[in-house]
Amino acid sequence: MKAVNGKFFFGGLHPHDAKNLAKDAPLEVMPAPEVIAVSCSQSLGKPAIPAVEIGAAVKQGQVIARADGAISSDVFASVSGTVTEIKEETGANGTTEKYIFIKSDGKEEKAFLPPLTEPSAEEIVKRVRDCGIVGLGGAGFPTAVKLTPSSPVDTLILNGAECEPYLTCDHRLMLERAEEVLRGAKYVAKALGVDNIIIGIEKNKPDCIKLFEGFDGIKVVALRKRYPMGGEKQLIYAATGRKVGLGKLPADAGVSVQNVATCFAVCEAIEQGKPLYEKAVTVSGNAVNQPKNLWVKVGTPIKAIIEYCGGEKTNPKKVVQGGPMTGVALANYDAYTHKTTSGILLMDAKEAAADEPTPCLNCGKCADVCPMRLMPMNTAFYASAGDFEAAAKYGSTAACIECGACEYICPAKRPLIQAIRKTKAYLRNKK
Amino acid sequence: MDNSIVISTPPHVKSKRTTRGIMLDVSIALAPAAIAGCVFFGWQALLIILMSVFACVATEFIYFFIANKGFAKKCADAKSVCLRWCKQFDFTSVVTGLILALILPTTDKWYQVLYEVIFGAVFAIAIVKMLFGGTGKNIVNPAAAGRIFVFLSFSVSTFVAANFGALQDGAISGNVVATGATNLSGYLLNGKDSQLGLLDLFLGTGVHGCIGETCALAILIGFVYLSVRNVIKWWQPILYLVVMGFTAVLMSGFEMDKYAFDMALFLPHILSGGALFGAVFMFTDYVTSPKGVWGQVVYYVAAAILTALLRHFTKMEVTSFIILLMNLVTPLIDKYIISKPFGYKKAKKQKKEGK
Repeated sequence: MKAVNGKFFFGGLHPHDAKNLAKDAPLEVMPAPEVIAVSCSQSLGKPAIPAVEIGAAVKQGQVIARADGAISSDVFASVSGTVTEIKEETGANGTTEKYIFIKSDGKEEKAFLPPLTEPSAEEIVKRVRDCGIVGLGGAGFPTAVKLTPSSPVDTLILNGAECEPYLTCDHRLMLERAEEVLRGAKYVAKALGVDNIIIGIEKNKPDCIKLFEGFDGIKVVALRKRYPMGGEKQLIYAATGRKVGLGKLPADAGVSVQNVATCFAVCEAIEQGKPLYEKAVTVSGNAVNQPKNLWVKVGTPIKAIIEYCGGEKTNPKKVVQGGPMTGVALANYDAYTHKTTSGILLMDAKEAAADEPTPCLNCGKCADVCPMRLMPMNTAFYASAGDFEAAAKYGSTAACIECGACEYICPAKRPLIQAIRKTKAYLRNKK
Repeated sequence: MDNSIVISTPPHVKSKRTTRGIMLDVSIALAPAAIAGCVFFGWQALLIILMSVFACVATEFIYFFIANKGFAKKCADAKSVCLRWCKQFDFTSVVTGLILALILPTTDKWYQVLYEVIFGAVFAIAIVKMLFGGTGKNIVNPAAAGRIFVFLSFSVSTFVAANFGALQDGAISGNVVATGATNLSGYLLNGKDSQLGLLDLFLGTGVHGCIGETCALAILIGFVYLSVRNVIKWWQPILYLVVMGFTAVLMSGFEMDKYAFDMALFLPHILSGGALFGAVFMFTDYVTSPKGVWGQVVYYVAAAILTALLRHFTKMEVTSFIILLMNLVTPLIDKYIISKPFGYKKAKKQKKEGK
């Protein structure tokens, strides 16, 4: 089916995307490192509870930690081997999580669930939960919960926008595993009970758009190159013209949004019974020798990934886990990948933003690019004075999606997102 | 890997645009107007422009040096203070100096203007800008305040008497109507300027007035540059000028029903006086104009209507006063006009429930 153009949403910008660095590197499987450390906090909600003892032998795909509550997900061993340690550790991203260390025996013995053929909607939801699949766009919301929406849904949107600069793992995945992505989408659609499947792809991936135009049963929407096109509310508006109200879920607008990587994981979970212990990750940036797209096991040390990609080219100024617009800056390499990790970026001094902030000019560029039509300069102004009530009121901070567009464009390099997060923390604590 | 790794909140990439770059762009955009001024008014104009820029930058530097604590310590370590100043220097004072010079007139007694411009520059930078906290903190446009300071302080001196009173646009609202709108040569009170046509106003030939305000063509070149470089929003000056022109036409129409609503007055009103220059370079000043789009619309429309009204009733050039007035209203506009978030609905219902 011929691609149709997506609608324009207000604001947004097109950052220098630097996707050329890793765009043409095909996905390759990174061999498992000797020791992995799987975090128990792999999704939103409570961390999972460890279900293995120290010294236990585990197989690839075996549950090693059980979900605690509905908004939580099971965690799986990503290599076969022995559990050596279970301890809390503060990672380079600054959060303290419980890690399960597994020493690989190199055999890669698998413990998969039985494959399903012609599954019913309930079976799909159960399998998605059993395989610990979470939204791989970055938020890590358990997919099984999203598959049982509170209000009726008539459209499924696949998020193939990948609007973050540098990241190309979804691009490669769509290009190389298009059929699996589509089959996964059809399972998701069956679980949701919808017929209408739309895939939204940014126009900077013309090869993907062309590829998906050739498939039946899916509508392709060519999206304008505009960050944050992959933001849920923006994508829904661009693809369907529907607006999701403030504080509302996509389901309230009759839409469910799934990342293409999530659909691929669903396909594997159903057809092979493979739990989610592996994720496509982009390793990029001007400070790494060979930018690559890799299949990385959950819990792989960042250090091992950097070594596999040929090490550092120059001294990195910033090390980012995730995309450059929303990812987490790491203090060193002592961190491990999670289910939701989509990129490891080593940025040199030239590309990493580390300028000293200068006084705000009131230029209003932050408000011009805000896809949520907020006024970030007001939030920053009042938050710096400690008046978070006014910050939330005049900046409408509660609606912020933290896409980072405002801080990207700011000519004074003001730390706007920091002010917004402080204000949001204040609002949370107030409740 | 060494210890130079930086951690911060996202985003980890940022645009290359800086405050300094934007102010440089504004300076470049002001260049055509300055060059045109030098062509029309000679080397005296160039001298005034240079003096104004120098006085502004010097005032800023001196303020930077003597303000804050530890003056003695700073004197001992003057070199590092200078380096620090150079590092934070963002060209805002250059822009202020350029604008201030370009909105002052020249006369035969140019040496008087030369010292008057120094007073204006010191007032603009030290009192209006630095005392309020420097770049981004001033509540009114420093250049406009400096011009008005000069105007009020030295109004008896020759240059003011010769130029401000009968500024080229000063008589538009009175005289044009009196002499008939079809006769384009009758715009101006001043006898010397009585043969001016629209083309003269556009090119600035033969117009008596301020250094940078006379040549509309040069200002338009600056406008196009600023718009292309995305420093200002192109619709803002246009909104201001169009609304101002229409209001002026309306006002003159009410006064003399014989020539009611004569559209021939539209262009002369826009092209003469400080309106065009102010619309492109001074109303659009980031610091003193509203932040949100709707606030900006209110700001430009209100400024345009006020300019036309005041021009009509005072028969004088008032743009810089209107700039000052609207600058002071800006915080109010910012407070009450806040954009509604994407997907915002049911505001009316909620309000009713609250009541």
